[in-house]
Amino acid sequence: MPLLVFVVIVFGVPMLVLLGGTFTKEGTFSTANLTESLQGAYLTALFGSVKLSALVAVLGGVLGTFLAQAVVTSRFRALREAVLTASGVLANFGGVPLAFAWIATLGNSGVVTTTLGLGQHGWSLYNFWGLTLVYLYFSIPLQVLTVVPALDGLRPQWREAAQNNGASTWQFWRYVGIPVLTPALLGGVVLLFGGAFSAYATAQAMVGSTVPLVTLKIADALTGNVLIGHENVALALSLDMIVVAGLVMAVYLPLQRRSARWLR
Amino acid sequence: MNSARVEFRGLRRRFGSTVALDGLDLTVEPGELIALLGPSGCGKTTALRCLAGFEQPDEGEVLVDGADITRVPANRRDAGMVFQSYSLFPNLNARDNVSFGMRVRKAPAAKRHARAQELLELVGLPSVGDRYPHQLSGGQQQRVALARALALEPRVLLLDEPLSALDAKVRVTLREEIRRLQLSLGITTIFVTHDQEEALSMADRVAVLRDGRLEQVADPATLYDRPATAFVAEFVGAMNHLPGLVSGDGVTVLGQTLPVEGPSPDAAQADVLVRPEAVLVTPDAEGDGIVMVSSFRGSTARLRIRLGDGTEVLADVPGHDSARFAPGTAVRIGLVERPVLVSARSETGAAAAVPEPDVV
Amino acid sequence: MASLTPQVTPQVTTQAATGTAPARGGRPRQRGATAARSRVWRGVVLVLAAVYFLVPLIASFVFTVKVPDQGFSLDAYGQIFSAEGFGGSLLLSLGLGVATIVLVLLLTLPAAVAVRLGAPRLRPVLEVVCTLPLVVPPITFVAGISTVLRWGPDYLATTPLYQTIIAVQNPDFPVVLVLAYVVLALPFAYRSLDAGLGAIDVRTLSEAARNLGASWPHVLLRVIIPNMRSAMASASFLTLALVLGEFTIARLLSFETFPNWIYRISGSQAQVSVAVSVFSLLITWLLLLALSSAGARQRSGS
Repeated sequence: MPLLVFVVIVFGVPMLVLLGGTFTKEGTFSTANLTESLQGAYLTALFGSVKLSALVAVLGGVLGTFLAQAVVTSRFRALREAVLTASGVLANFGGVPLAFAWIATLGNSGVVTTTLGLGQHGWSLYNFWGLTLVYLYFSIPLQVLTVVPALDGLRPQWREAAQNNGASTWQFWRYVGIPVLTPALLGGVVLLFGGAFSAYATAQAMVGSTVPLVTLKIADALTGNVLIGHENVALALSLDMIVVAGLVMAVYLPLQRRSARWLR
Repeated sequence: MNSARVEFRGLRRRFGSTVALDGLDLTVEPGELIALLGPSGCGKTTALRCLAGFEQPDEGEVLVDGADITRVPANRRDAGMVFQSYSLFPNLNARDNVSFGMRVRKAPAAKRHARAQELLELVGLPSVGDRYPHQLSGGQQQRVALARALALEPRVLLLDEPLSALDAKVRVTLREEIRRLQLSLGITTIFVTHDQEEALSMADRVAVLRDGRLEQVADPATLYDRPATAFVAEFVGAMNHLPGLVSGDGVTVLGQTLPVEGPSPDAAQADVLVRPEAVLVTPDAEGDGIVMVSSFRGSTARLRIRLGDGTEVLADVPGHDSARFAPGTAVRIGLVERPVLVSARSETGAAAAVPEPDVV
Repeated sequence: MASLTPQVTPQVTTQAATGTAPARGGRPRQRGATAARSRVWRGVVLVLAAVYFLVPLIASFVFTVKVPDQGFSLDAYGQIFSAEGFGGSLLLSLGLGVATIVLVLLLTLPAAVAVRLGAPRLRPVLEVVCTLPLVVPPITFVAGISTVLRWGPDYLATTPLYQTIIAVQNPDFPVVLVLAYVVLALPFAYRSLDAGLGAIDVRTLSEAARNLGASWPHVLLRVIIPNMRSAMASASFLTLALVLGEFTIARLLSFETFPNWIYRISGSQAQVSVAVSVFSLLITWLLLLALSSAGARQRSGS
């Protein structure tokens, strides 16, 4: 199949080179790059990325679920359609334009910043919390998209059967509702983590390299912002990222399968 | 298990512009199995849900053993319910599903597992305790749901079309089993269905509902033989509408004069309601009728016969006789001598045979 | 199920109604209070969400039309078109988009059909292949690519592959970007095509066509593709949106695509860059809205 050949060449070769480069230093096999990528500023960046992604994933997961629940229980059909369509659009809204929209809003000379005079109170968008705020903008809609089908899949019979067996609303959620939703909720959180973890454009356009993030470090290293002889550290960092992302996917897929089985 | 008497009194419920229940009065005797039968939208499910506490009636009350439970929340009512389908909790295995109610009531694990096992044996599934709903067949799921409904020893059992999502064969075995179980437990049971065959074969009494009102409640034989209204007559089994002439206590139809059952209409021209099995057919080259269609059903064959005046009549003949009534055969028809039900002439003018209701 | 559905929604209404009619006993009033509370809660959530999601959009627009000491002006939008590099970068991105769409459809459509018809055992392989680009962040992918491009010339200087490597980096039309974008677009394209194929029952269709004497190419061109139009359109739209917004790979390989151009001019012309952002956002929205309403129309039509 031509598709497989294509993927092997265009995707496989760079990945192999990446793997090879990671373990090569000055022409010989070495784990020095990998070790270096897990030390000092690089380790800080890796932690920074994980911390930011985890925060975005948890916050986005919780807020997105609330929004999804509000939409699903609403009796206005049009509201539901509007929120779902908007979520579809906003979940794909990332990159440079997103960063600029927020800079124009809450940046140093942003409309809201100047109108409310936030600048005098030490407000700055260009830090860890600012990034979190901006990342949530595409993460919450993504969570809505993941969770709404699961909430729709909660059959009214389950709640009624639980009531019929003497359960209170709280007991229904505790023994049935939340356990049934958990795979979908966690699956969504994992997706959000992955999205935030690999985001680069938004961060680059917003904060440059003032917030330590692994994607920014890799880009720096690739564009020659490192000492001679350390170019391959970028590759090692990339490998670190792939490992983290791979772990995330390894968690996500079984969760998704279980959720699909329960809510079919 | 002590069984309860259930009374619906003047129950009214409307959803927007549709009236689901329009003053329903019905009493269910302790230990009996009553079937609520009717077309979809007749209010039978709403009545059941009012009893279970999932619906609040706008007017009227629901009494269990004389106590008004209309305002008691659903989770404090003493009624076990089996739903149409997919009501098992997907995250719990069969045993935990059955013992859910006991878990909510904080019964110790060992005790509730033992009880769940007992119930699973009762419904004929002793070895599925560890399986999850998606690993069970539809029939097994409904058995587990039944065990779950019985787990808290309710005084009333509610069945909301529990068989309608199952295969024909499973449906028949399961309905026999439900009936057997109900008789042995002696539990008051209300069974909602749109399938007349199911209702007639299982219930002690059948209540036919139409537009939120009770049309008739009677034991299956009475319901079939002496339908109180034309609606019941048509909904339960197939029915011929034949043109007749009323005179005094008798009605003349197809050249025969038969006594009238129930009230006679004012007009002389009327429709006479006759079951297909009450039509006698004999092959006769001189006969007035011609067999148009013959559909073989095993024990019987149903014939559609056209008479000289254009009237169409449905008639049932024994299956082994069907060869004598191939389409095109000329036949003579008569009616069994017994009282017949008469209704006002239908607007369709010349009485035509009613299309058969779908018997699935 | 059918008998349940119409009853679920009105239930909310009546509970809310009993809440406002205190003449009933204690119980329904309590239930009404719960319903009212959950309605308030729902309203708060929705309002907060609306504020969070709408304010940046509105503020961005205000930012672009507000000129100090002058008030309202649409100049920034006018300047977009005259700005240096605008036409070139937009054309480059569009060209890349078209090339990527063609290539991705050529690769995935036969593969998706083949998996449905002939080789269902290859399906897991294809699923994995199409999940990989989601697992591997674009930045690590580009790290690999740039390394290949950097090292390639040293090792391959004497072979014809050297020419290839130079050729794919032609700044007028960087084929390497097309190749990379095809990989990124694979998961989305494959999913929408596979969903489209699932909806039309390819097997029966193609067997019917074969039975009527059609050859395989004929089946593909005359039977399957016409029935797949909307799935292919959705795959194309998603791919286009992806290419038009892609920043990471183009930036790190130093090609000035549209997003990179926006980024570059942001330093000198902040207003224009935000205006372009708003503008490109609108275009993406229109594309995706068209896509989702087309999808909805098709669902209701079938």
